[in-house]
Amino acid sequence: MDFYFGLLQIFGVHTLLGLSAYVVLLTGQVSMAQAGFYAIGAYAAGACTAMFGMHILPAVLIAGLLTAVVACVVGFPALRVKGLMLVVATLAFGEMVRLFFFNLTWQVERGGEMVGPNGAEGFRSIRYFPENGWEIWQVTGFIWIIVAVIMVALWWVDRTRAGAVLRAVGHDETAAQSIGLNLTAVKVGAMTAGGFIAGIGGGIYAHTVTHIEHGVFGVLLATFAIAYPILGGLGSIFGTLIAVLFIQGFLIEGLRFMGDWRSLLFGALIVLAMNLRPTGLLGEHAPRLSQLFGRKTNDHDKSLELKEAE
Amino acid sequence: MLLDIVQNTLDGLAIGSAYGLLAIGFTLIFGVMRRLNIAFGPSIMVGIFAGAWLHSQWSAGMIPVFLATLAGAVLASAYVERISFAAIRGDAALASMASSFAIWMQLEEAVVHVFPGRTYAFPTLQTIPMLEIGPVFLRPEYLAMFLTAAALILLLQWILTRTRFGLEVRTLADNPEAARVSGVNVAQVAFLTFLLAAVIGGVAGFLIAATDGQITPKIGLWATMKGLIAMVIGGLGSLRGALIGGLVLGVVEAQAQWFLGAAGREIVTYTLLFLALVMLPSGLAGRADAGARTEALRRL
Repeated sequence: MDFYFGLLQIFGVHTLLGLSAYVVLLTGQVSMAQAGFYAIGAYAAGACTAMFGMHILPAVLIAGLLTAVVACVVGFPALRVKGLMLVVATLAFGEMVRLFFFNLTWQVERGGEMVGPNGAEGFRSIRYFPENGWEIWQVTGFIWIIVAVIMVALWWVDRTRAGAVLRAVGHDETAAQSIGLNLTAVKVGAMTAGGFIAGIGGGIYAHTVTHIEHGVFGVLLATFAIAYPILGGLGSIFGTLIAVLFIQGFLIEGLRFMGDWRSLLFGALIVLAMNLRPTGLLGEHAPRLSQLFGRKTNDHDKSLELKEAE
Repeated sequence: MLLDIVQNTLDGLAIGSAYGLLAIGFTLIFGVMRRLNIAFGPSIMVGIFAGAWLHSQWSAGMIPVFLATLAGAVLASAYVERISFAAIRGDAALASMASSFAIWMQLEEAVVHVFPGRTYAFPTLQTIPMLEIGPVFLRPEYLAMFLTAAALILLLQWILTRTRFGLEVRTLADNPEAARVSGVNVAQVAFLTFLLAAVIGGVAGFLIAATDGQITPKIGLWATMKGLIAMVIGGLGSLRGALIGGLVLGVVEAQAQWFLGAAGREIVTYTLLFLALVMLPSGLAGRADAGARTEALRRL
């Protein structure tokens, strides 16, 4: 039974990670910085509970807010670039964060032992849950309450004007700008919200595994983060949830009986899904993001792209 | 001090020429597809492991290993192109990206499965003695790397500017619709360009593996990152920019490695990359105006 609770916890934190990328992707930005934000949240929340003895809830909240501030500060310069350049810029930022934690050593003495990030060794004994006697089902419930709150909030935002604004920018920046939307504010806002969600996700992740190290937060995790909303589609937040269940539940856990050959089928199924649904599983009304990796759209190119798509 | 800088610059230029080749491969793919192929590095890795396998099984010499590397990279790339690019319609760039990510996982898993060890030996060129030019040393592998890269780039330049295929590639990169209307077989040219990029990447992978003498499956991700970074530093869509980006990346890495050590090198590289992207969004070879990218594509 513990195994299934553990699985649910993984689904929970990965859903948060995927949603953080989803928010940014709504505005048409492919961000590979989400793993970096996740790392900041993980270390920050770990520091709050393990080093300063805080309660889990304020710790996770602080982690989210701190990450949001970082995301906002990074968002201003990073969002000057678009498409592939943004992919690489955010990738570079994510690696910078990872290397920062690789080199960070900051320990305090607590209860007779040194705790805190210790460079390449990582950050050990973030044991808030076991120390306070939380049962595994309580931890799982706690995680999913947070996930549910964030999903409801996002679902609600999506139905208000703010959601329409995000999608408008994702569909066509020029058109969005011409009706008076402030592109910088929208994009940085989405980045900040994404950072907040990733920070919370990271904070929870640190407490479920109790030991974090820099290697986890690499390019692979960043790619997974962006793959969830792409696979799920931008039609609705449930797309991301379904993608997480599909990848983490079915492809990674469900295919475990296949042993070493799991990744081959894993790849084949994702490729199949993308072939059948190029805009994602729940992507009927998703914005077309062709302009992302194409040339800057001028009128001529735009009309060609539309024609090709028909 | 000054001597160190000169020495580092020379080493950096050599390794940078291999980065430049990786970036050129990426630029070719991006030019005709306008989609990001994350599996570019991993398909090169398949080639390198094919070469290493030939070497360990029959202790093959340099030339068979070289050919096996190219063949492996081309085969893996053909697989990637068929599955993640040809099969997905052109405007779904993100679908291709996610799909090539899945192929990356596949290729890496397949290689790890066939080669369960951590590192494998790759034949090196160490039989040639070290060259000394005054107080500066030149490793023969580095010289070979630099010369091979230069020769390959000249060959590529010839193909792109003097052959019919090159003309078709440039037309396609310039304007896919116009290329189609004027009778270019778009799907075929795109496929062949993909394979050409795989050959170039395979040569780069071979040069890097032959210099290091040992390989791990991590080299796939590594090659993708270096190629992507070098391409972006140089500016999208320009072959000359890709080469310059590779050389700059190589020199910066070599200097940072010498003065700051391995951990410092990575941090410096990524920080500079981030700053370069933010301050010079169109790259070293690009211009800041909106027409730069079209202009750059025309030059391709």
